[in-house]
Amino acid sequence: MENILLVGLSRQVALGREMDVVANNIANINTNGYKADGSLFAEYLGSGASAGSGGAKISFVQDSGVWHNMAQGAIERTGNPLDLAIDGQGFLVLQTQRGERYTRNGALQINAQGQLVTSDGDPVMGDNGPIKFQPTDQQVAISRDGTVSVRQGNSNVDSIRGHLRLVDFASPQQMQKEGGGTFSAVDGAAPQPTKTAAIVQGSLEQSNVRGVVEMSRMIEITRTYMQVSSMLQQQDDQNQQAIDKLADVPG
Amino acid sequence: MQALSTAATGMMAMDLNVQVIANNLANMTTTGYKRQRATFQDLLYDHISRIGTQTSAQGNILPVGIDVGSGVKTVGTARLMTQGTLAPTGNALDVAIRGDGFFKIQMPDGTYSYSRDGSFQMDAQGRIVTAKGNVVLPTITIPQNSSGLSINAQGQVSVIQQGSTQPTILGQLTLTRFINQAGLLPIGDNLYTETPASGAPQDGVPGTDGAGDLLQGTLEQSNVDSVSEITNLIAAQRAYEMNGKVITAADQMLSTTSNLMR
Repeated sequence: MENILLVGLSRQVALGREMDVVANNIANINTNGYKADGSLFAEYLGSGASAGSGGAKISFVQDSGVWHNMAQGAIERTGNPLDLAIDGQGFLVLQTQRGERYTRNGALQINAQGQLVTSDGDPVMGDNGPIKFQPTDQQVAISRDGTVSVRQGNSNVDSIRGHLRLVDFASPQQMQKEGGGTFSAVDGAAPQPTKTAAIVQGSLEQSNVRGVVEMSRMIEITRTYMQVSSMLQQQDDQNQQAIDKLADVPG
Repeated sequence: MQALSTAATGMMAMDLNVQVIANNLANMTTTGYKRQRATFQDLLYDHISRIGTQTSAQGNILPVGIDVGSGVKTVGTARLMTQGTLAPTGNALDVAIRGDGFFKIQMPDGTYSYSRDGSFQMDAQGRIVTAKGNVVLPTITIPQNSSGLSINAQGQVSVIQQGSTQPTILGQLTLTRFINQAGLLPIGDNLYTETPASGAPQDGVPGTDGAGDLLQGTLEQSNVDSVSEITNLIAAQRAYEMNGKVITAADQMLSTTSNLMR
């Protein structure tokens, strides 16, 4: 008898989780380089739980995963020379306290040591370590393949300051979000240099969260939640009636 | 329900975004103003089920995990140090910088601050000062009864003194560069001060070692682009609204749950 309550509960827990994911997507609708998440649900067959004698097995719902939508976000022109957008599948490599991390947020800065860093201060890696500028460098130019060149002082010739590492993974789906716009690779996944992605200087990749999709998903969640809830309510009423009617023994 | 607090972080971030945009728009006609941009990052994730966990003794691994994020945070309000439009004014003491560099200003307390605002004035002693009366370094004093004040691209200040036909060089304006200009601390009045993030100041002659040229009779306008600010404002306002809707929806779900119990 209580199975229906538990089935309903499993659905509500899963919907609550999906709501959290949607809320996080909407909160990050203006976060550069953010990739939207989606929820996956799986049917879970309760062992031994069956609907009456000879009935079908009862199935519960279980949230089995959250997947990252790695689709390209819109590229917004900013005109700032240190804003980089990645066009295509690929990541910039960051050197952090925790090891190598990957990001698609290209809003970069230069720190007091002249290194090219993220807003968090983590150096962005080139082929031979962090990219470092000299105090007299000006007119930073970053080509589509990631070559960083500058004009040093009053020179009319470009000086190369390095080549940005742009990497990709066999299955970017399996990367783990770490917050701060960074991803980490799972054990055994090695970054491969990518040939297909290109860097667009003076632009930023916007979040790929689509407001309409998230809003309709949210409506769907609240409505389903209410339906499950009213189903539980009906079950409760039914129990109540059964108790009342069955106990009403004519004297 | 975590969705409530997640949406609250979204609303707070967008509130700050609107503040930054409002300040940019308010300073649209401020000489030498550099626009700011709020940058956001996703907050920590709750790894409920880790990607790559072994699901069987055969070495099968989970292709997707359950990572639920907890919202958004503001990492900074970076200043975009791009060149502003140069507007001719015809005033001999208006100087614009074309390229990198800042004017060095002596503050009343003896410290230095830096500015891109070149709308200079002359004080009672004939010194070149800012609109606030702070002395521009190196100090240049313009003698009385002189005419034809001229400041060339390399910052040489010269006048024609009474009774002379040749210009007299009074001094040399310098420009100060920082390796990370965006790391300077704004203190209001179009002034910035040095911070550990900006790196040490490097004084130099305009037009050399990467410093910009000076243009007399011109002022650098703010680099605020009204069109992009308004588009950002619309986006920020809508994002704020959507986060509000998430709070409403989460509230509805909670109320549905609490109504179960009669």
